[in-house]
Amino acid sequence: MLNRRDFLKLVGVGGAGAAAGFALGELTKTPPAKLIPYLIPPEDVIPGIANWYASACMQCSAGCGILVRVMEGRAKKIEGNPLHPINKGGLCARGQAGLQLLYNPDRIKNPLKRNGKRGKGEFEEITWEEGLSILTNNLMELRSHGEADRLYLLTSLIRGHLNFLLADFMKAYGSPNYLQYDLFQYENLRFANKIIVGQYTIPHYDIANTNFLLSFGADFVTTWISPVNYNYGYGQMRQGEGRNVRGKLVQIEPRLSLTGANADEWVPVRPGTEGVLALGIAYIILEGGYYRGGDAKLWKDALKKYNPEAVASTTEVSEDRIKQLGKEFATTKPSLAIGGETVSSYENGVSNLVAINLLNHLSGNIGKTGGVIPNPDVIKKSFNPIATIAKDASRRKIKTLILHNANPVFTTPETLKLKDALKDIPFIASLSSLHDETTALADLILPSHTYFEDWGDDFAEPTVGYSVATIMQPAVSPLFNTKGAGDVFISLAKTLGGNLQKDITWEDFGVFLRDSWKKIYERHKGDIKEANFEDFWNDLLARGGWWDAVPKASKPVRVAASEVSAHLSSEPAKFEGNDKEYPFYLILYPHLSYKDGRGANLPWLQELPDPMTSVVWGTWIEMNSKAATGMGIKEGDMLLVESPFGKITAPVYFYPGQRPDTISIPLGQGHTSYGRYADGRGANPIELLPAKTDPKTGAIPLNSTRIKITRVNAPKSFVKMEGVAKELGRNIVQTITPEEFKKMGKEA
Amino acid sequence: MAGFIELMLERFKVYREPGYYKRFDYWWAMVIDLDRCTGCGACVTACQAENNTPVVGEEECGKGRNLSWIRIERYIEGEYPNVKVKFIPVLCPQCDRAPCEVACPVYATYHNQDGLNVQVYNRCVGTFTCATYCPYDVRRFNWFTYNKKNFLKGNGGSSTSFEPPLDQQLNPDVSVREMGVMEKCTFCIQRIRAAKDRAKDENRPIRDGEIQPACVQTCPTKALTFGDLNNPKSRIAQLAGLSTAGDLHYLRESGSKISDISSNPRTYRLLEDLNAAPTIFYLKRVMKNGSSTAGHE
Repeated sequence: MLNRRDFLKLVGVGGAGAAAGFALGELTKTPPAKLIPYLIPPEDVIPGIANWYASACMQCSAGCGILVRVMEGRAKKIEGNPLHPINKGGLCARGQAGLQLLYNPDRIKNPLKRNGKRGKGEFEEITWEEGLSILTNNLMELRSHGEADRLYLLTSLIRGHLNFLLADFMKAYGSPNYLQYDLFQYENLRFANKIIVGQYTIPHYDIANTNFLLSFGADFVTTWISPVNYNYGYGQMRQGEGRNVRGKLVQIEPRLSLTGANADEWVPVRPGTEGVLALGIAYIILEGGYYRGGDAKLWKDALKKYNPEAVASTTEVSEDRIKQLGKEFATTKPSLAIGGETVSSYENGVSNLVAINLLNHLSGNIGKTGGVIPNPDVIKKSFNPIATIAKDASRRKIKTLILHNANPVFTTPETLKLKDALKDIPFIASLSSLHDETTALADLILPSHTYFEDWGDDFAEPTVGYSVATIMQPAVSPLFNTKGAGDVFISLAKTLGGNLQKDITWEDFGVFLRDSWKKIYERHKGDIKEANFEDFWNDLLARGGWWDAVPKASKPVRVAASEVSAHLSSEPAKFEGNDKEYPFYLILYPHLSYKDGRGANLPWLQELPDPMTSVVWGTWIEMNSKAATGMGIKEGDMLLVESPFGKITAPVYFYPGQRPDTISIPLGQGHTSYGRYADGRGANPIELLPAKTDPKTGAIPLNSTRIKITRVNAPKSFVKMEGVAKELGRNIVQTITPEEFKKMGKEA
Repeated sequence: MAGFIELMLERFKVYREPGYYKRFDYWWAMVIDLDRCTGCGACVTACQAENNTPVVGEEECGKGRNLSWIRIERYIEGEYPNVKVKFIPVLCPQCDRAPCEVACPVYATYHNQDGLNVQVYNRCVGTFTCATYCPYDVRRFNWFTYNKKNFLKGNGGSSTSFEPPLDQQLNPDVSVREMGVMEKCTFCIQRIRAAKDRAKDENRPIRDGEIQPACVQTCPTKALTFGDLNNPKSRIAQLAGLSTAGDLHYLRESGSKISDISSNPRTYRLLEDLNAAPTIFYLKRVMKNGSSTAGHE
């Protein structure tokens, strides 16, 4: 029988006319109009058959594993990797939307050189040779003047081998200034853990196995640290198979978050007093004699001023409720207390988190299943306060700044004057896939691959009690004239010579990655057991990662009352602005879709209704309608929000899950140069913040100011999808009570 | 009115002679555990990525014309501090006695051999009748050819739904719809077809759990489960408490309440009294009655 390929051969042999026709066709077609442009297709392209490539999600720092579905060389869909221990096959909306980053119409297609005034956004396209030589010449000149240490490298959070390569590069070049920045880098939490758990890491919060979860403002189902893992844990906690008890969730926060909406109880505490409430609960645990340690007396002394009466008046949570929470937390086993972004974002974030962690210590949850499980140590990264960059730049210490996927101009308050400071830097190069507010200030843009086009890996932190590494491989060939950031640094090292040439000898980043993994292979740990490296590497790529599923045995930690109490504060968090002029507390929260703003250029995420307000494509202000009475404000009105430091306007949404003395605004919108889907949309509430950073950790306190509001006339409002927000007796979401559920016993 | 109902019943009878289900190999259904669902919206975006549903933009959203096939409905009851918030993912429940099917004047929507309510795009003439009849509001209409419409016009930008190179993401297994066509959730029929092909090649029935629609696959909390209800041993039959074949036949023919049949007291069907026999089985959320999530006082 004649098969299709033979048939084509017969027809096509030597047909000069056919060849000429083909050539003509090629000339007249625009490239995307080609059907199958291969005479002999590559082995992984079979029309209609999908290939799945395991890779790593880079939409946030959770470190989930993904599978990318590729057909005819194009990425079609992302799914969670079911083998991956962090996300277990699930993926959040942001992870799903990653493809719109790869295929974003606003991606930078060629290297660009500034053409016109800085910040005006005028660039001309250049070749890679020219782009690289501009950067090389700049670095050579800097080094020849003996000013190598005036090169700064600022990247987003990178944890894999790219991190090591960049560190090696900077060291060999002679600059100590390799910095990583993310608005949410959880340094406060690590710091607090050092004090109670004894490790400067984020532990694994075993939500799946806990029976009582006390969450202080941790919105773990949307954005907090590792949302997919925590979501999985939440599902298991509620209805996991083989569980006889349904875990209970109590959420303590001034604004009811999505996590709070799923909680069994909500405690609308006064903003800034969460830490005090935690200590009040600790007092109950000690008073009730639930703490078994020998140093109970010392703790009692340390905490004696946090009696229910005093705590109740500070926190506006009733005495009975504090007592009941304390008793329930201490007597339900296992229990778990977590402190999230809201709590961490007050100016006294660290002391709040220490107080919350203390609860885990006092009720013996540390190192227990269903409690706080320590994670392997991680390499300490140089998270530097973003304020130092602003300071160094304005003191003209920085001669050259290289950026890679970091956008601090958008995520720092105007009052920090970072934008002005950056303008003082003589030369800025950005290795970014997309334009953003920081890249807009660059003199040279060398566009980098997205995570679908590049090699890489990621060491998740926090993991789930044991080391987890996720490998990233090119799922599609580069869409535009871009290069991987690792490749750029390797080629820079080659042309710069000297130490750099000696230390960085690899051909490209892919080879470097493979060589580095050889070292991991040689340790013969983890659950990929192969006799040689080739097979190990193939297995690694096939399943998308490496993990050593042996939970780390937890060391007992000595927690001294005297030491801990030095970090506690009986004072509620301070807010800028006096309460006469500025009557409302301001709570800023990372949005489910945009997080710190990085998701705003993806249309799928813009059109995903916010889970609480159902608003799409914009910013809104959440306010309790009780507070609005008497001010003549209707829902949808535009409000001018003013703090002592800045102002924004946005429409108001009446949200009953909001303390009347508090106003919340989601982060993420208000971009000015982040592509067509994000620009000119909503407002950036970070502009309301003071120029404050935590002295110990460099964190920017998002909840540190008070605001006032005034109604302004503006035609534009928001678009919400909610329709009728009441069930009106239709019995749509049916419920049963916990008592009935208990009676059900084991489900059929 | 009475005459109308009779007419509908008559049409339904022609459409379904008794015992029809015995000829079916599979009966695809879904179980959604509301006690696991957090309302995070991952399913919404996953569906959009899988099924080529266009982004319609802010203005069209304002007219209620967004095209997502699955949505999270959220209900807020009560006032501060006694606020109670509930979520429910709503997608086409592929009703066994679907009101949309009998209503379509051109038979663009019909019940297929797997118990799915299927929409034939190139047969649809856009009368909107099915959407009017649908009690679940899950049918979505293409008011425009969204890949030709600039949805950023109001904002001074320019982009169509599949602005190149975003069009390279389009799933080749799913057709892109144009103006005048009604569309809705298909339970990811392209995945069902692929699994059937695979099973046929290997000469075996489809395994339980082999098919996962995009929403089920991505759900971080594993609130959604998909499977074959004809198989009483399947995971969804177990979860829904419909564990004997007799249960299922009874359910299909009698139109009785799920609470009379299911052994799981948490199982319910959305707006069951309308008697459309939806094949999505929700498991009730465990929640304190009436009063509060708060207890502030």
